[in-house]
Amino acid sequence: MSDAIGPVFAALADPTRRHVVETLLRDGSTSVPALAAALPITRQAVAKHLATLGDAGLIERAPGTTREVHYRLRPGALGPANDWLHTTAAAWDDRLARLKGAVETR
Amino acid sequence: MPAQREIEIEASPEEVWDALSTEEGRERWLDEPERTIHVESEDPPHRLVWWWWTGDEPASRVEFLVVAAPAGARVLVTETLPTFPLATLAARFALVAA
Repeated sequence: MSDAIGPVFAALADPTRRHVVETLLRDGSTSVPALAAALPITRQAVAKHLATLGDAGLIERAPGTTREVHYRLRPGALGPANDWLHTTAAAWDDRLARLKGAVETR
Repeated sequence: MPAQREIEIEASPEEVWDALSTEEGRERWLDEPERTIHVESEDPPHRLVWWWWTGDEPASRVEFLVVAAPAGARVLVTETLPTFPLATLAARFALVAA
């Protein structure tokens, strides 16, 4: 499970790709032309970002698209990364509390 | 997208540093013997970076920032999960250790 999360974080480290994911969360699906119209980058650049998101398992072609290809988030794709963030943050709450206890009672 | 948490501690940054930067110090609060810790960089008493992992899992990077605060010290910890493969990481450590 951890092996899949690294590429997800790398994919989301880029602000353009975060924009794509936010668009998909809001609108459900999008296309290369739609993204190229909304972003200050070429269709080629959009396609590269979509390829990275696809390789990370975050997006897929939306079913039922014929003439113009649409993309959507892969169901459950953000789950593992989200879980890692929550689990890791909670673990650190715990550790920091113990660090505080250990240092203050010296 | 890192995981980030912080806490205020009623002690000096140096005292906090002591608990972070040495094995003896960490034993006072960190009870995870299954994890291997490799310290990447130290800027006492303010910034410490280590990598750690369990078994075959990918290593994650932990960065501590310790600053003076009215109550004594404020600690900010950030953990990230990078993407390069473990083999590259191991090679990098070999270079550092050499």
